[in-house]
Amino acid sequence: MDYAIAGYVMIALMALFPAGAIASLFVKRKKAWFSASALILAAIAAVSLTLFALHASLTLLQVFRFYPFSELVVALFASMLLAVDVLAYEYSSDFITFSAFFGFSIAGMLLVAMSNSLITIFIGLELMGVPTIFMILTHGRTHTEAAIKLFVLSALAIAVLAFAIALIMPYDPSLSITGLSTSSLVGGSSVILLSMVLFAVAFSTEAAVFPFNMWVPDVYEGAPGHITAMLAGINKKVAFVAMIEVFFAMFLYSGYNFQPIFALLAIATMFFGNLVALVQQNVKRMMAYSSISQTGYILVGIAASTEFGLTASIFYIVAHSIMIIGAFSVIVWLAGKNLRTVNEYSGLWSKNPIAAFALTIFMLSMIGVPPLIGFIGKFLLFSSAVSANLLYLAFLGIINSVISVYYYGRVMLSMYSDRRPTRRIRMAGAVAAVVIILLVATIAIGIFPGPLMHASALAANSVMLGS
Amino acid sequence: MQGILLLMTLFPLAFLAAAMLSGSRRGPAIAALSNAVSIAILAYAALSSGGTLSISESFSYITTIPISFSLRLNPASFMLLIMSYIVLLAASVAGNHEKESQKLAASLIILLQVAATGLFLSGNLFLYFIFWDIGVITSFFFLYSMGSPLRRPAAMKFLIYEMFASVLLLLGIITLYFGTPVHSFNIAYITANAALIGTTSQLLVFAFLITAFLINMGIFPLHFWLPDAYTEASTQGSMVLSAVLSKFGAFGVFILFAMLPIGAEAAKYTAALGAISAFYAAFLMFNHKDIKRMISYSSILEMGIILIGLSTLNVIGTYGAVYAMLAHGLTIALMFLAAGSLTHVFGTRDIRTLAGAVSRAKSTAYSFVFAAFSATGLPLTTGFIADLLIFIGAYAAFGFSGIVPLLSIVMLGAYMYFIIEKSILSTRKESEVITHASASQAFGYALLIGSILLFGILPFTLLGFVKI
Repeated sequence: MDYAIAGYVMIALMALFPAGAIASLFVKRKKAWFSASALILAAIAAVSLTLFALHASLTLLQVFRFYPFSELVVALFASMLLAVDVLAYEYSSDFITFSAFFGFSIAGMLLVAMSNSLITIFIGLELMGVPTIFMILTHGRTHTEAAIKLFVLSALAIAVLAFAIALIMPYDPSLSITGLSTSSLVGGSSVILLSMVLFAVAFSTEAAVFPFNMWVPDVYEGAPGHITAMLAGINKKVAFVAMIEVFFAMFLYSGYNFQPIFALLAIATMFFGNLVALVQQNVKRMMAYSSISQTGYILVGIAASTEFGLTASIFYIVAHSIMIIGAFSVIVWLAGKNLRTVNEYSGLWSKNPIAAFALTIFMLSMIGVPPLIGFIGKFLLFSSAVSANLLYLAFLGIINSVISVYYYGRVMLSMYSDRRPTRRIRMAGAVAAVVIILLVATIAIGIFPGPLMHASALAANSVMLGS
Repeated sequence: MQGILLLMTLFPLAFLAAAMLSGSRRGPAIAALSNAVSIAILAYAALSSGGTLSISESFSYITTIPISFSLRLNPASFMLLIMSYIVLLAASVAGNHEKESQKLAASLIILLQVAATGLFLSGNLFLYFIFWDIGVITSFFFLYSMGSPLRRPAAMKFLIYEMFASVLLLLGIITLYFGTPVHSFNIAYITANAALIGTTSQLLVFAFLITAFLINMGIFPLHFWLPDAYTEASTQGSMVLSAVLSKFGAFGVFILFAMLPIGAEAAKYTAALGAISAFYAAFLMFNHKDIKRMISYSSILEMGIILIGLSTLNVIGTYGAVYAMLAHGLTIALMFLAAGSLTHVFGTRDIRTLAGAVSRAKSTAYSFVFAAFSATGLPLTTGFIADLLIFIGAYAAFGFSGIVPLLSIVMLGAYMYFIIEKSILSTRKESEVITHASASQAFGYALLIGSILLFGILPFTLLGFVKI
């Protein structure tokens, strides 16, 4: 069967977003834009999953590559973007303007996921990052600081990335990942080594890895909630996807060992995120630090630099997207009711039991309590570290899991304290649907992790094969 | 019958749904029924095993990493299961004097029932870990949502200690998995091939796992969460925490010693630690006037004795320890039930103000006295059989020094009988008011006392399955 048609359909669907974004400036119909974007996202997810199920593998127009890994992450991004779209529809003050920028961002994310070239990765990251800044800006002056911080940091990251690509260029001017992996990066050239470090820095900034994460707490706290959910749940994962494409498909294939870089980054990131989160009062800020620490866990699998490690990382990327967007859906909704700090969460159980239960499950999952998706993810990550003879990394990882118990625990305890009957607060139907779907996914995949584990293994295998 | 163990593990989920959907007042009945059904299924499974009490089942679960859903019933898990069900049944019927949060309590009891069933039946370490954590989180919510006003800090302390234990357990399991020649989580496989695992990784695994288990059991010096948690929990909470949850770790030690050959070298150290823990608890107990705190220390003492039994590594001592787990579960549950009832009636936990309890709440006071008999190993109670077997085993393993810890039980007895004489049974402060135990409480007392006597007088009903 010819998969090329499906591939072109995906590219066309992706291109619809920027086109629609421009059109949205003229047609101001909120509902229409929402339903159109939701439909297209659902279509992309469906086509992508179908291709994944068929194990399709092909390269189109030289720069697009469809193989199990990209198909899996495209499906993930599309479905998570759908969730963010719903949140934005409910909470965005100006949905039309938001969706204009959102359209460009979506195209960027999907571009990175499907790319087969360092240039498309570059363009994709840029396309994703810049509109995000404006999305934050359009929500009013109070968010300016966050926007500026994000702008400066992403400009820096992009510059570093450009330099890293430039260093690679002499080895293969086509800059195609599959080409680079098979051709020329042989030998211990210090230029390649430098380029590798710069790639690590660039992606680390986007993915909020310590010490390149200074922008995260301010931006996460300052940005409107649905954008925070997107930043934590999707943007960060896009950077990881780029990281995996470059490091696993390119450098690892050419025999470069990047284990020490990522082991170090993983340890620093986990400890920084968890220790700082301990003292936070604002829940959104706490979750920002918690998401930094979760980034560190994903890096554990990358540090293992084996196929198993990659499987674990991919699994945890999916898991963390689900958990964090679920958690932020609740947190954003509460922020809208002027409930922001840990103490203000007290008695949430009596105000809205479902929200409290959902947040509890998401947090337990992030701690790594079975039988939830986060547990399976951490189990795989630490297993991969042990199997790659990085027992110390696994040990530090679990120490961090214990540290995180304290701050997640504080939020959970606060929700169940104060049982005086209070006025109930309601959640909008669409948001509640998002929360419940993600909640069910968190529990169901935790109990039956087989399919997702298999999918992650397949995706990891397709990356490691090189071409 | 293939699938009976799976049924036993999963059917309570239906009761859980029922408990969550039905009204608050039906909660205790649903939880009790769920445990009664479990006892029935367990009895059926025992009868259908043809006198061996060993059944194993395996279902495919995850294929990417070979993890099967394997369950196995053996005499040790049988004893612990029957104890857990009896205690949970008694707790759900009689434990909630205050009638607070009945629905939540019932749901948590059923969840704990699932956790205990899965853990004691688990045939591979992955499942063991999953059910361990379900048990820990359930107990945490139990502790957090019901109990004294000081329960919340205690709950947080409990959670942090137990999560530390659980991640060490996870790390140990993962290390063990990659240490086995053909990577596997299956306990039977690991036991058969443990000699092939390198000494260093055995030592690492042993260190990780034993630390996790000792935290859960509350062995000195890892016990600091325990007195607070047991004391501040509600009556039901104290019962299930002390009787069921603490056995997770003890059962783990049982598996661990059977699994890794390096245990033989470590056994004398764990035995010493058990003895230290027992004496430590015995000495500290004298300081406390709080009846629940005193019982908590008696629990640390008993767990120390159990650890000694498990460390003997001979069949008598080991099964003595398993029997002691059963005895300890039933006894401590009865003690906490009676103590909780006294606290409820008198409004205080202070031993000095409980003076004359017998004149005011007769059946409760005598139940407490009976529990003290069993805790100190009086003949005809389960405690006697347990202590007898453990110290025979300890003598065989460690010689004369093995029976020195018996002194700690003497100290326990001395203190227990002292406070019973001075406070609970003293008649110098006769009370005018007489509180009768309600029917549900009487049922709880009768069930626990009956079980203690049954397994004390007829130990061969359970021990007959073990070839000693």
